[in-house]
Amino acid sequence: MSDTHLRPQGWSRRSILKAGVGLGAAGLTGFSLGSSAFAADGSLNFMQFIGPNGPSKTQSEWIVHLVDAWNSANDAKITLDYVPDSEYIGGTKLATSFASGQGPDVFLISPGDFLRYYNGGVLTDLSPHIDAAAQADFPETVIANRKVDGKIYGVPMEVEPMAFYYSVKAFEDAGLNENDVPKTWDELLEVGKKLTTADRYGLLFETQPGYYQNFTWYPFMWQGGGEFQQADGKSAFDSPATVAALKLWQDAVASGAAPRQALGGGGSDIAANLASGYCAIQNMGIWGISDLANNAPDFKYGVFRLPVPAGGKYVTVGGGWAFVANAKGKNPEAAAKFIAWALASMSKESIDRVVDWCTVAKSDMPPRNSALKAGAAAFDKGMLGVFTREIHPGTRAEPRLPPEVYKMISDAIQGTMLGGTDPQQAAATASQQIDAFLASYKGAPLL
Amino acid sequence: MTAHLNGDRKAAKRAALRQLPTERREAVAGILFVLPDALGLLIFIGLPMLLAIGMSAFEVDGFGGFRFVGLGNYARMVADPLFWSALRVTLTFALMAVPLLYVIGLMLALLVQKTSRFNTAMRFLFFAPQVVSLVVVALVWQLMSVEKIGVLPRLIAGLGLGSVSFLGNPHVALFTVVLAFVWFLMGFYMLIFIGGLQDIPKEYYEAARIDGANRAQSFWHITLPLLRPTSFFVLVVSSVAAVSGQQAFDLVYVMTRGGPANATLLLITYIYQQAFQYGAFGYASAMATLLVLMLMAITLAFFWATRGGRFQYD
Repeated sequence: MSDTHLRPQGWSRRSILKAGVGLGAAGLTGFSLGSSAFAADGSLNFMQFIGPNGPSKTQSEWIVHLVDAWNSANDAKITLDYVPDSEYIGGTKLATSFASGQGPDVFLISPGDFLRYYNGGVLTDLSPHIDAAAQADFPETVIANRKVDGKIYGVPMEVEPMAFYYSVKAFEDAGLNENDVPKTWDELLEVGKKLTTADRYGLLFETQPGYYQNFTWYPFMWQGGGEFQQADGKSAFDSPATVAALKLWQDAVASGAAPRQALGGGGSDIAANLASGYCAIQNMGIWGISDLANNAPDFKYGVFRLPVPAGGKYVTVGGGWAFVANAKGKNPEAAAKFIAWALASMSKESIDRVVDWCTVAKSDMPPRNSALKAGAAAFDKGMLGVFTREIHPGTRAEPRLPPEVYKMISDAIQGTMLGGTDPQQAAATASQQIDAFLASYKGAPLL
Repeated sequence: MTAHLNGDRKAAKRAALRQLPTERREAVAGILFVLPDALGLLIFIGLPMLLAIGMSAFEVDGFGGFRFVGLGNYARMVADPLFWSALRVTLTFALMAVPLLYVIGLMLALLVQKTSRFNTAMRFLFFAPQVVSLVVVALVWQLMSVEKIGVLPRLIAGLGLGSVSFLGNPHVALFTVVLAFVWFLMGFYMLIFIGGLQDIPKEYYEAARIDGANRAQSFWHITLPLLRPTSFFVLVVSSVAAVSGQQAFDLVYVMTRGGPANATLLLITYIYQQAFQYGAFGYASAMATLLVLMLMAITLAFFWATRGGRFQYD
């Protein structure tokens, strides 16, 4: 299924052009490509944004322990290559590593990036190293967007469903309580307006363009029955459900209930927005629990699931990062074995590791049934319990779309939410663009 | 024996060099001084530029896959509405930023050109943004412009002009980025203008005053004409900075990510997105090539208009 027409035909041309890509990339932006992504001692390089010495002590310790445990029992050693998340997720480090032929042996990707790397031919099939019982342990809704033709190319470490967080104080100040949490879109807008004051917004959606904004908008489209593609492969984006979802965000901003700009790190920064009092309700993922525990431990908040449109069905989106192995790395087989051992074995250590990541290092839902069972007590406690019982059951996996399609959808969201474009027109334009793109698209299926 | 011969050759070379006319010897010395920098430019700027131009003729997936497409990337550019939008935003940005930088830089220089403790302190303050990281500058401007609670929206609301979203409104966001850009660079151009003003002989002003000229007449008939070389430098450098998006890239990246609704999507930001977010290195190279051609055209136009930077009184 991969895009084979782009594969190199001759070594000499490839060498020259590969050097050209690296140097050219540097020429485009002036960035230096001086450091090699390969570990100097020949060990396998694991590029990620967690540790050692990452911003979260618990997460950093988790990954250091993971690699230490592997290295103490295996000949093929792993070296952690920490890249700050601003440079990893939104930056150039991973892209330039691959462009210069020095991609890491093991790295992390989100579903939003899956097709780019799969279609580029750099993802290793991990299935031969994951036994059948472990493969069945991953619910299809979680693993589907990391699979092509039934083969697993990425092992998720977490599931991060979206919800709404609200400030208890803001609710009380407005004479509202937990019984007033909105259950429909109309109620959401109404409560948002009630909570809006001279120096506070009632609601907050992500405002900056990017993968994250698209990710947070998708469930609103799904709730009314909207999809990206029809069964025949053509775009389904121009639908009443899509138009309604675009209009919801537009109405939230136009009514003055939601801002055009978020504080701090944007819509995914809950301490800078909800805890600071800039907004009363924030559209946010499950990781907000640990963010608030670390950065605003005294802040009192509640969580509720995404409201639905009239006649709609509750759905939320679940993102999350996955371990993947570089098919063009030094030792793809050892890298694949490491990933299977770390996150996809039926051993107690492997299952406990997932539980630890989701409950101690972070606050996430586990991607494995066995981990949900093994950590039942932790997953049922406090706010994590609200996610387990009320929010996570409606989770649908984050879509995997090519970057070009992501941009078309992003333009539709930005245009309607902040640019005042008619939602119907924005949906129609994006749909035409998606159809034009899909007509010549040759990679793995969009999901 | 060989060592002896080598020594003789070196001595002969030194003697031959000494016999060269002074002008030639200075030229050789000049070349030797410039050589390290020139080599660096050639290897780290020139060569990547050439390779980027070559890469613009390929479809490159960023993972080792290449396919020759000839002028395909340029044809794609012509048909890409976002490219035209980014080009329009870039030119609008330059048309706002360059005159503002020129006028504000010159005004500040005129205000603080005389040497005094107060003026020295003011010069330091105006130049201070230059020593701060652009990311910090962008974050400060982001905070100042946040709706409802930022300094700028509160100021506007206090004037009774209603609520304005400086970075969330597509009609205002680009102007906000221009303001941050000008604020960051105005101190640098102020210094350049101060240098230019100090080169103007005081006798000209004294003669004008004796002839009855007022301050405005002195400015229009002495200061501005004699500042032509400085103005030329400021206009060329600020135009190149604005069109190439040197500092603006960082500001846009932190403040808006090209939004809202692509209103601040500069060409350099779009090139970055295509190369590093979408992996379309070939297409990004084609756009970068066009950007370089635009910059060359702008610079050549300035040189042509001033006959190579020479002015009538030179």
